Amino acid sequence: MKKVACDERPGWRSYAESVGFEFHTFDGEAYWDETAYYQFNLRQIEQDLEDPTEELHQMALGLVDDIIGDEEKLQQLAIPEKFWDFVAESWRAKAPSLYGRLDLVYDGNGPAKLLELNYDTPTSLFETGFFQWVWLEDQIMRGKVPQGADQFNSLQDQLETAFAELPLANPLYFASVANSIEDKGTVMYLMDIAKQAGLDSRFIELEQLGEASGQLVDLDGYAIGGLFKLYPWEFMVQEDFASVILSSQTQWLEPGWKMLLSNKGILPLLWQKHQGHPNLLESHFEQPGQSFGAGWVRKPLFSREGANVELVTPSGEKISEPGPYADSAFIRQKFQPLPKFGDSYTMIGSWVVGNSAAGIGIREDNSLITKDSSRFLPHIILD
Amino acid sequence: MKQKVLKRSKKAALVLMVPTATFLMAGCGQEEAVQTAAFETVDQCAAYFNPEQCRADLNQALTMHTQVAPKYTDKASCETDFGVGQCETPAQAAAAAGTEQPAQQAQASSGGFFMPMMMGFLAGQMLNRSGGQLKQPVQAQPLYKSRDDRSTFRTATNTPVARGVGPTYIKPSSVQPKAAGTVNRGGFGAQAAKRSSPTKSFGG
Repeated sequence: MKKVACDERPGWRSYAESVGFEFHTFDGEAYWDETAYYQFNLRQIEQDLEDPTEELHQMALGLVDDIIGDEEKLQQLAIPEKFWDFVAESWRAKAPSLYGRLDLVYDGNGPAKLLELNYDTPTSLFETGFFQWVWLEDQIMRGKVPQGADQFNSLQDQLETAFAELPLANPLYFASVANSIEDKGTVMYLMDIAKQAGLDSRFIELEQLGEASGQLVDLDGYAIGGLFKLYPWEFMVQEDFASVILSSQTQWLEPGWKMLLSNKGILPLLWQKHQGHPNLLESHFEQPGQSFGAGWVRKPLFSREGANVELVTPSGEKISEPGPYADSAFIRQKFQPLPKFGDSYTMIGSWVVGNSAAGIGIREDNSLITKDSSRFLPHIILD
Repeated sequence: MKQKVLKRSKKAALVLMVPTATFLMAGCGQEEAVQTAAFETVDQCAAYFNPEQCRADLNQALTMHTQVAPKYTDKASCETDFGVGQCETPAQAAAAAGTEQPAQQAQASSGGFFMPMMMGFLAGQMLNRSGGQLKQPVQAQPLYKSRDDRSTFRTATNTPVARGVGPTYIKPSSVQPKAAGTVNRGGFGAQAAKRSSPTKSFGG
């Protein structure tokens, strides 16, 4: 694994905008960054990232049965009691799931370590599945990347297959919050793929969702048979329409049981069951009054994009990221530094579609905490 | 020579996000009819489909019955449309189905209204499916019969879907159930508004 400087494609920004990638630059800073790429060999991809991704995914699924039958665990994960049956029922009914992303620490050697599971509302999907794929094709054609180069990225193919083969409602609605162009972009990409798979995909702003006689309805009052929502379950279960989740016949993507796996509390539960696993970091639920020392990271059960994460490096340096998620319980995770390439700390997001590993997207930040504004860089495989 | 297996997608195309492609797609929106079926009982359904799925479809139809059936404030008006002795209250429907009414519906029915009895259900499954796509093209839902046409099954929005029990061709968009009653909006999104800073995404 190495970082290789590379010429940018002339005019890539206007191309990005023409395909709906409006958030390529964020607050004047690059979000999509093609001034360099990461290079892996095939062994690194297959043995160190692809196989562990699928193994960790199975380990996570293996926890669901343990949790739904255990009140203590459901409470540790802060699942509202009113939704315990809903979650359990969605699991027993094998409610289909589309996708998830595992965030990994990996520097090219040794086992990748799991930082967390983004199993409810993962983003950076378009950047991974489409834009870096096009980047590779373009750069091979322009001779900037070697002819035989490949990429670990079957994301779009696998999503299209999933939309075609999963037992999904049709029409299938897609919702994201009104004021986020990034979330809208992610949802548009999924709608695009669903359409190519033969589904009638329809967008509705999350705030416009309606309720009538206990059913979730669209703008014309029609019952919504299936809904992909790019909006966290832990928010939905405490909002005004929480009861509609229970009374409606809507099929949800991601399904209710993903509430358990998108929760940082899954990390201590994984550690309890598979202590010492090479791809896991030691993790525990935070105890009241517990002191917070060197070599540990503190994360809220519910947070996104690095918000409300704080850490103390082994040498005692304190780093923290503010955020709006301070109102939940916390976990502790053993500090594992992200590898540094040049001035940047690098994290790997590894995708799962159905139960298969489906590719990676790379994020870089100037700090040890990867966040929303962290740059996205493409990668290649070359032996 | 060994064929190299690529680790990347064979194609990455867009049809909706690219304006020109959207324009081209607009012309080919002809919706295809699919073959599903209407039934009165699980046994009838089991002759065509998996019995477990038949039971699930019937249960879904029973649950939706109170939510989507046309509502009347008095029994006489309901019977004008659906026939004498063919109307019931939500409480009677729940008793007939042997189900407890969820709190949400009990609330909705507290005003006291009449609705036609459910005469059958549309299977949420597809006959002669090919290619593994669209396993659930239509939503399982309750069916009704009007006073002057006792052989035709109709949806709650009065779309005729089948003449009698058995297979029928329908366009999925014509049978999308519409919930009856007042629509409330804005029940999701409050947490996003509250936590608007500093993230720009509610994904991750």
